[in-house]
Amino acid sequence: MGLFILEQIVNGIVAGSVYALIAAGMTMIFGVLRAINFAHGEYYMVGTFAAWYVISKLGIDYGTAIVLSVAISAAIAALIGRLVMQRLVNAPFQSGVLATLGISLILQNAVILAFGGGYKMFPGGWLDPVEFLGIGMAQQRIVLVGAALVMFGGLEWMVRSTHMGKSIRAVSQNPECCQIIGIDVEKVVRRTFVLGTALAALSGALTGPINVSLYGGMGESITLKTFAVIVMGGMGNVRGTLFAGWMLGVAESLVAGSIGLQYRDSVGFIALLLMLMCRPTGLFSPKARF
Amino acid sequence: MRCKPVARRLRNMAHVALLSVMGLSFAASVSAQDGNVIKIGVVSPQSGANSRYGAYALKGAELAVNEVNATGGVLGKKLQLVQGDSQCVPAEGVSATQRMIRFDNVSIIIGDVCSSVTLAMQPVVEQAGVLLLNAASSNPEITYRAGVGGYKWTFRNYPTDESRAAAALEYAAKKGYTKFAVLSVDTDFGRGAITFTKKYLPRYKAQIVSEDYYKETETDFRPVLSKIKYSGAQAILMYGLADTTPIVARQMHEMALGGKIELVGNAEFTNPSTIAAAPDVMNGAIETVAWLPSWSNPRSLKFVDDYKKAYGDVPNVHAYTHWESVHLLADAIRNAGSAKTADVRAALAKIHYESVMGPVTFDDHQQAVVPIVLLEVVGDKAVNEGVLSSRVDYSAH
Repeated sequence: MGLFILEQIVNGIVAGSVYALIAAGMTMIFGVLRAINFAHGEYYMVGTFAAWYVISKLGIDYGTAIVLSVAISAAIAALIGRLVMQRLVNAPFQSGVLATLGISLILQNAVILAFGGGYKMFPGGWLDPVEFLGIGMAQQRIVLVGAALVMFGGLEWMVRSTHMGKSIRAVSQNPECCQIIGIDVEKVVRRTFVLGTALAALSGALTGPINVSLYGGMGESITLKTFAVIVMGGMGNVRGTLFAGWMLGVAESLVAGSIGLQYRDSVGFIALLLMLMCRPTGLFSPKARF
Repeated sequence: MRCKPVARRLRNMAHVALLSVMGLSFAASVSAQDGNVIKIGVVSPQSGANSRYGAYALKGAELAVNEVNATGGVLGKKLQLVQGDSQCVPAEGVSATQRMIRFDNVSIIIGDVCSSVTLAMQPVVEQAGVLLLNAASSNPEITYRAGVGGYKWTFRNYPTDESRAAAALEYAAKKGYTKFAVLSVDTDFGRGAITFTKKYLPRYKAQIVSEDYYKETETDFRPVLSKIKYSGAQAILMYGLADTTPIVARQMHEMALGGKIELVGNAEFTNPSTIAAAPDVMNGAIETVAWLPSWSNPRSLKFVDDYKKAYGDVPNVHAYTHWESVHLLADAIRNAGSAKTADVRAALAKIHYESVMGPVTFDDHQQAVVPIVLLEVVGDKAVNEGVLSSRVDYSAH
């Protein structure tokens, strides 16, 4: 029984690391724009497709494919950032909802148009199983959790110590003041957007081998789960996101493993409802940030 | 004063609209009376998680229509394919069927692949008096409700899960498996097959130790596989989606479950690309199928060749059943000597059709009595473990 619960916790931490990597970007974008990026799951999908494309069509090895897929997704995000996202600064929130929902549809259908609507199998990855406390898992999962830890460490360092990080914090606290003292808000928004979506793409490229299949609509359900994670973590709170992601992942694994797989997706929504009812500021901050 | 032109413009617009509606209905009645073609509708999932099946089904039907038309058609008329997308969602399937009946004047439909959609289409065709020949759904209820069961217009040229589940379970029991975990897709197909498997469990003193159903887009099976690992199950009963099998297989491989827990059921276990995803897990998988590409009947081999030439890949079972069902319908129309729906229905009820798998007849529930093949994956190949009849004992239900 103890081993069973330990195994479910490990499963949950792996799944939660994926949620956290995606949610980190979404919560940062929310911070600087006050807009929910409904297309965020689509960048995860684009990352997986980019990795799949460079491996299966160009014959590039998986390690390089991760770097390339993040670069390709970041380039797409840079374009969308310039054309759409930077215009959302000071725009009413409805514009953000409509614009990002529109981008989500465009990205999804562009991929379906280019590669077809059917499922594709992801080639490559580090899939040899390793034994860890009697739990067998692919090396890929360990890489994934490691990457999440490194990324969150890096983000923490960036927002505390770098100029860009400080500007992100400044913009998320008060964009008007930033404009007065000469911080280029649009530039900060663009950079945050590219960074956030690159994290989603990285998560997509890293999960490709363990999710095995990829298809145009794969980002949708991830976006919905990400909502739950960013609300639990506290909107705009990067550090909280990692723990919230893990908590959701572990809760989902325990429910799927003991009550039934068919109830797994309800966990995120129940968590979301409970958080909004009892603690809308998130689990980790005593007062609302905005 | 200012209202007048607006009112006049509105009146004019109404006239135009009326004329176009009349024109459309005239065009529709013309095409209905068009004596040179016989329309065959194909409702199948062309988008969504099951679009892979729909693509195969449609190509199979298209190949057969081209073959029939190349030999002069049926009763001097060409067959014409009309397609509808069900997305594997009952509401979408019903509206595709209604569009086909109302706007395309189709009176013979082949559909759907997904059991949930077929169950929803049955009352629609019944009300419209349109012939529905199902060629790929396996939920037993479809034919429990047809023929003497109620629905006059539904036929099925595909084995039901009742016979498949019984055959798979019998073979698994013979191999000594008595403890099963259920991991099936959460649809009428996945749940229906398990309901009927449960009926036969006491016969083999077997039991179900855990029961889970996955949604069609699920990709993380680790939690449920961990549960199965600790449950003591010897085999997993899986009636699921072909696209999901490689995911489950690879995650079982990670957890070193290959060779410890076998897969039993139906989810394209014997497809070479599925086996290649995790050979150690797929080795020993047991599956019952309606057809397989390597079936050594000359007409079947020719079909595989023609399909490869036309579409570039190897057909799956849905391509085959749709291809065969179009030929079956053409034969029924020929026997009836008329393309009138009632005549075709009567001809279908008493048909003796020679399919590549053996003779096809319909029982009083309008369910085809067709052979099914039991396969086991040995190494990286599917081995034929026997051909069984799919006759259903309705009284046992």
